[in-house]
Amino acid sequence: MANVRLYIVLLLIACTACTHRFDGVEDNTPMGNMECLWRTLDEKYCYFEEKSIDWQKVHDDYVPKVKTIRSEDYLALFDTLANMVNCLNDGHVNIYSDFDVSRCDSWYEGYPKNWDWDVVKNRYLKDYRIAGGAYYNTIADGQVGYIYVSSFEQVVGVNNMAYILRSFKECKGLIVDVRENGGGDLEYAYQLAATFFEHDTTVGYWQHKNGCGHNAFSKLEPQQLRKSKMPSTWLRPVVVLCNRKTYSAANFFVSIMRYAHNCAIMGGVSGGGGGMPLSYELPNGWTVRFSSIRMFDASKNSIEPGIHPDVLVEDNLQTEQDEIIEAAVQLIKKCYKNDTSR
Amino acid sequence: MLMGGMAQAENVEHESILMLRFGGSWRQDQYLSPLLYKGLMVGIGNEWWQPFRKETKLGQAGKLDNWEHVGRLDVRFDWTYNPTRSNVLYALQLQTGWGANYVWRFAEHGVQVFVGPYLDVSGGIKYHIANVNKPISLDLMVSAQAQAGVSYAFKGKKTSYRLRYMLRFNLIGVDYMPDYWQSYYEMYKEVLGQVRCAGMWNHRTLHHELTLDMQFPHSTWRVGICHDYDEYGQKNMMFSTEEVSLVVGTSFRYKLNPKKDFTSF
Repeated sequence: MANVRLYIVLLLIACTACTHRFDGVEDNTPMGNMECLWRTLDEKYCYFEEKSIDWQKVHDDYVPKVKTIRSEDYLALFDTLANMVNCLNDGHVNIYSDFDVSRCDSWYEGYPKNWDWDVVKNRYLKDYRIAGGAYYNTIADGQVGYIYVSSFEQVVGVNNMAYILRSFKECKGLIVDVRENGGGDLEYAYQLAATFFEHDTTVGYWQHKNGCGHNAFSKLEPQQLRKSKMPSTWLRPVVVLCNRKTYSAANFFVSIMRYAHNCAIMGGVSGGGGGMPLSYELPNGWTVRFSSIRMFDASKNSIEPGIHPDVLVEDNLQTEQDEIIEAAVQLIKKCYKNDTSR
Repeated sequence: MLMGGMAQAENVEHESILMLRFGGSWRQDQYLSPLLYKGLMVGIGNEWWQPFRKETKLGQAGKLDNWEHVGRLDVRFDWTYNPTRSNVLYALQLQTGWGANYVWRFAEHGVQVFVGPYLDVSGGIKYHIANVNKPISLDLMVSAQAQAGVSYAFKGKKTSYRLRYMLRFNLIGVDYMPDYWQSYYEMYKEVLGQVRCAGMWNHRTLHHELTLDMQFPHSTWRVGICHDYDEYGQKNMMFSTEEVSLVVGTSFRYKLNPKKDFTSF
């Protein structure tokens, strides 16, 4: 009987023992991390073809540089890999580590700034109110409503917009300023834009990278903007202001607003960032963010290069007023006059 | 579960075991990260059993073998780190199920063997702190499973013991399988479109445990070790979870004759 007991116990222990069968990723060495980064982007980044980037050449150029880096020299590795990904000229490509975040500035360098916060704050917003992520006030002697949305990290929801529009009920038109708005949550961009649509509308398309090849994409998937749940829609003139630093979700907002009722886009060319970013981890724990989902406008044009405004207005920042806001006010007055004279 | 078969002979009509678990967890979710995450887990669970027929009726039939039905509810939470401990993955898992066992009793050796079908429903949500636009991943599965086990009862000086080994694995069901490129904006809109048929060829789960129940005069306690393994994949993405945990529990027993113990057949 003792043998039976021993046999049973040994059998049970053997059955409970386990082994791990996880697949590994590359080695946590400079070359291992570089290869993982390069291959990840090679398979998952979505703009190689559109930007005519020879990614294999980038690989060949950087292999000798990375080979000279010692494992303990993490700063040199970080800087080298940051330079490598900056070849993509994409503000949505970053490497995140515990000590630094790489960034690409080239996509907005060389463009007019078209923005002076002090002028906007002191001359136009003045005693502004804040509703969600929106700063707002009336300008031009109460004839025009002005909303500044600095980021889509914070929502400007239905309730917020209901109060804002209530305070603009005497206004002839409305300015939505998204200059310097670096983006955030796409849903918030949709929510704000929905205020200006009477019906559900197809405002763009998405396309996923669904294979390893640079041209492996899913079919275009229409993106529907749902009409706002607010009881009323703003149908008077709207002018959306943008500059080169209007990026990512804000760039998408500008793209959407081109299909809104009675709306004009004004300012400089927006920054782009039309690729929705996803992220991936390297063997050393750094995270790389990259554009992976291509976004198009409703005419199926890529919005990655930025949106060209309906009315191009550059502000050389030489005066005490914001030339783009002033131009928008004039446009609203003109539109309102034309509307009422009809 | 096994207690059911054994305990039926000792007049137990219903038994419920409350268990706490603590152990290690290994997770891989290539929707969120290619790296293997390791960390700790805690859990609380309840297991109950009940014979289909009362012992009095069994006795009249002159038969000890019988069907019993069993149920289980588990809630587990784990927090795991990537190899450089720079990112964290949190996971909350809920698992429940119901099954039926046919129990063979070999009274002269104190041994029972059982086998039966089991319907398992499990779901979990995972949150990765550093993932852009898809920080959350889901585990969802409904599956028909098979379970089997063996127990051996013996007496100590003042206590009676029951050693039990049990395993359960999936046969066929449905699960949720995201596409790598799906952002979380789309994830919730297209959950139904991502549900697929899952069987041993593309989704393997294994739960097995070794437990020792100790019956003292006024209470029954359990200690044990439990191993859970779940692995599935598709489209160059792999998902796996492995947990090894220590189990401590106590039993609430409702029986006709409280003086009988594990070894009373």
